[in-house]
Amino acid sequence: MNNIETKFYNAFIVNDRWMLYVKGLGVTLEIALFAGIIGIIIGCIVALMKLSEPKKGRKHTLWWYLATAYVDVIRGTPAVLQLLIMWFIVFSTSKNGVLVASLSFGINSGAYVSEIIRAGILAVDKGQTEAGYSLGLTKGQTMWEIVLPQAFKNVLPPIGNEFITLIKETAIVGYVSLSDLTRAASQISSRTYEAFMPLIGAAVIYFILIKILTLLLEALERRMRRSDLR
Amino acid sequence: MISVKNLCKTFNGLEVLKGISTEIDKGEKVAIIGPSGSGKSTFLRCLNLLEEPTSGEIWFEDQLITDPSVNINQIREHMGMVFQSFNLFANKTVMENITLAPVKLGLMKKEEASEAALKLLDRVNLKEKADVYPASLSGGQKQRIAIVRSLAMNPDVMLFDEPTSALDPEMVGEVLDVIKTLADGGMTMVIVTHEMGFAREVATRVMFMDEGIIMEENTPDKLFGEPETKRLQDFLSKVL
Repeated sequence: MNNIETKFYNAFIVNDRWMLYVKGLGVTLEIALFAGIIGIIIGCIVALMKLSEPKKGRKHTLWWYLATAYVDVIRGTPAVLQLLIMWFIVFSTSKNGVLVASLSFGINSGAYVSEIIRAGILAVDKGQTEAGYSLGLTKGQTMWEIVLPQAFKNVLPPIGNEFITLIKETAIVGYVSLSDLTRAASQISSRTYEAFMPLIGAAVIYFILIKILTLLLEALERRMRRSDLR
Repeated sequence: MISVKNLCKTFNGLEVLKGISTEIDKGEKVAIIGPSGSGKSTFLRCLNLLEEPTSGEIWFEDQLITDPSVNINQIREHMGMVFQSFNLFANKTVMENITLAPVKLGLMKKEEASEAALKLLDRVNLKEKADVYPASLSGGQKQRIAIVRSLAMNPDVMLFDEPTSALDPEMVGEVLDVIKTLADGGMTMVIVTHEMGFAREVATRVMFMDEGIIMEENTPDKLFGEPETKRLQDFLSKVL
């Protein structure tokens, strides 16, 4: 049999090995999706905390200090370390690796997302807020009805970027013995003593996944830009 | 209707308003003129507390609105404001721009508000624009819709902050016409403007502001015809 064909057979076909990639991809997607959702929720809350208006005479609110401390700590330490700390210290009794990893990545991503959302909110023209207030709308109504929808449009590209980074960052869950796509590929390569096929195979799967995501994001962005059409 | 007592406003140590006191009665149309940086826009924005006064009192229909315990959102429902840069909500259609506040604040049901909005749009000849987004409108159209948006709240007073300054010259007229019609209908209004002819024609009283105070105020005929202060004479000689 041809050499390449053998390699391909060993990497994907024998013993239904392709199932390992599929399962691994499932784990990757599961973690990325949960972490993405957690990240966006945390990011919104933290962004609003950072933008909270201090009382007269104060420079910042208590919320601002808490949010800033969180962002500093998360951005100041490696994601792998955060994951290890969550797995071996904070949730050392937990058996649910996917949940712990999702939480860990979500908390990590939230810090970056919060800065993206904060910038997106600040980029909305102040006149929009003033117009809302001048009509008698409350701060909350103005934020929710007018500022956030416009901010969302602003932040869609960088949020998409952040989510793409997040998907690939989940490749470090092998450190806590979770079998994601990357780990599946590396396990197979160590069994067949052949690295090329499994690693390139996994890379192609990541690439296709992210290409699809990119196309979806572009479509969403086009829809969001409807109100800009002249 | 509005009573202002010794209003002061300081921005980072810079005194913009240095003790403004005046009364604005129901039905009055007050035009505020003056050079750039004289504090006229700041004064107007203090009236609905978009700027927070540093000291002084503002009373609106027997309520001290500068008192921190007052719910300013409720006060603002009764004071319409039109901005120099229109500030139509970019993420909402024209119709949504107009109906958002009345519906959200529980003053009208959605159908009611839409109906009222269409009537108002018809008055400014923009009924056919109800379902477009602001980005597709000209400046004059945007400003007429911004006026309609304020009117939809049935305000007791309208504040205009240089409503025509950001418009192309050929669109100034259509906006001023709308404001004039509104004035003829008896609306109380305060207008910061650089359109002297318009101030003269529409206002019942004109204030000349400079260096953070009301330097001179009078009926338009007297203020433009027989300016008393040297500063106003200079100003008018430059702009007329």
